[in-house]
Amino acid sequence: MTKHLIGLGVLLAVGMAYPAIFPNNLTIAVSVLLFAGWATSWDLLGGWNGQVSLGHASFVGLGAYFVAIGQSQFGLAPWWTMAMATAVAAVLAYFWGWLTFRLRGPYFSLSTIAVAEILRLVAINEEWLSGGATGVFIATLPEPFGIDLFSRTAQFYMALAFATVVISTVIVISRARFGYQLRAVREDEDSAMAAGIDPTATKLKAFMLSAALTSIGGGIYGIVLAFIEPHVIFALLLSVQIALTAIIGGRGTIWGPAVGAIVLIGAGEMFRTTFAEANMLIYGILILVVVLFVPRGIVGELARRHIRRLYAKRAQG
Amino acid sequence: MAELDIFLQNIANGVLIGGVYALIGIGLTLVFGVMRTINFAHGDFVVLGMYSAVLFNALLGWDPYLSLLLAMPIGFFAGVIVERFILSRVIDAPPESALLATLGISLIIGNAILLTFGGEPRSVQVSYASSTFSIAGVNVSMVLLLAGIATVIMIAALYVLLNRTEVGRAIRGTAENRLGAELVGIDTRRIHSIVFGLGVMLAVMAGVTLIPLLFATPTNTGAVFTLKAFVVTVLGGLGNVGAAIAGGILLGVVEVLGASYFMSEYREAYGLIAFLLILLFRPEGLFGRTVKRV
Repeated sequence: MTKHLIGLGVLLAVGMAYPAIFPNNLTIAVSVLLFAGWATSWDLLGGWNGQVSLGHASFVGLGAYFVAIGQSQFGLAPWWTMAMATAVAAVLAYFWGWLTFRLRGPYFSLSTIAVAEILRLVAINEEWLSGGATGVFIATLPEPFGIDLFSRTAQFYMALAFATVVISTVIVISRARFGYQLRAVREDEDSAMAAGIDPTATKLKAFMLSAALTSIGGGIYGIVLAFIEPHVIFALLLSVQIALTAIIGGRGTIWGPAVGAIVLIGAGEMFRTTFAEANMLIYGILILVVVLFVPRGIVGELARRHIRRLYAKRAQG
Repeated sequence: MAELDIFLQNIANGVLIGGVYALIGIGLTLVFGVMRTINFAHGDFVVLGMYSAVLFNALLGWDPYLSLLLAMPIGFFAGVIVERFILSRVIDAPPESALLATLGISLIIGNAILLTFGGEPRSVQVSYASSTFSIAGVNVSMVLLLAGIATVIMIAALYVLLNRTEVGRAIRGTAENRLGAELVGIDTRRIHSIVFGLGVMLAVMAGVTLIPLLFATPTNTGAVFTLKAFVVTVLGGLGNVGAAIAGGILLGVVEVLGASYFMSEYREAYGLIAFLLILLFRPEGLFGRTVKRV
């Protein structure tokens, strides 16, 4: 526990100092923090609960659209629309999960793709609702306490707050009764049921929490982009990217998804000139490497080695 | 009368395009039935087939159907290699590992094509692209008709392979019970390679037959076809080859009818909605046994 609090402290300290040290590299840091937050939220369901979702871009899109449309059409401030998006995401996840959690195994993953694709088609075609295929543009934003929300620095701190909140949530849950329920359901649904845990209710709660947290990041992403196109924000590729970030970093670990975000966004940035728009190639290669050689992911593998070393030491001493 | 004509026209188009969907779906369902692996890269193999036709056309000036002669064996061996070096290593790991591995393969194929061919849509111009065939007042496009004929030949060949040959028996045996098949002396690793090779070959073939009709783009088309293949197989029941044919035709008809009688911009969504409804109410598929095998 203290270890994780120290980690959180380091994240905050580095985050606070970052804009002063690297004022020109803020955009990439914003991506890292947003992906860290999304992947950690995804991990609540996909890692801790073992339900691999390939539709999380829906919640990103939901958050972004609420902020953009609320601002451009109704003049609502982003904090109100983000709160609304969170609630709507949780309700959507409730019904989505209620429909799909009856299916086990690959069926759940498959149905998440279908639901996300349907949402994307609705966003593209229903012009009255979403501005259609051309997208929505955020022209003005309010200035709370004189802070310009269009400035990268402000957006960086929002993304930092988002990542910190999500990771803290997971730290708390990992120690709570709910966290143990999540893991029990992941390991064996039938045994979990025998121990008095309702697997469907547990999965539903995990999905709702995961969706709500993801949509907050989506709202921030909407402000960062300032221009939202449905085929970008609802893309299957974004869903896949979120899932792979968590899996490569280490599923079911607290810091895995964040480490995954640093590694993947960093690698993407490094090879950007080499691969241009084909930079998802790195995700493909890394996921193969992880599946074949480090099935626990980066952090999961490090943690396993650490534990083995501790055991070895105890056995000797 | 005109309305009936249009209706028949739509049905004919739906059935023919559905035949190609069936071809894609059979590949996916065969792999799932035998290896218990959901192949996320399946649609990308279809796209690979499309680009192979584009390549042969650009280099040698071949007609897409002529390039099948080379593309199909290449597809088969590509599948065997992918299975040998990647999938066979994760076959006994938790089921998600194989799924994630195929997701990785899908990203690698899509982006490798993007690097080689660039992002702009590609197609092959054939002289018969716009010629049509008239049967009892129903106009059928030549391209679709050829695709339909190719599908029927391929399905017949596959039927013979699965039901009349020793390899087919071994494949069916492995699908039914892998351990049992090993006990009676079937080399299931070899069968897995063959089946994955066949799956890729079918995908490549579907891609080649579709190229005169559709434009290929590197990354998006792959995902679209993978989704369609899922829809087809789930409509019919995962792991059931015969049902995938029915599922494919059903998807083709649903898409075409939905697009012409309701809202055409939701063409892609009708299949997905049917897919969700089937998943919810009959996850074993329309024609599957009521026993849940997954």
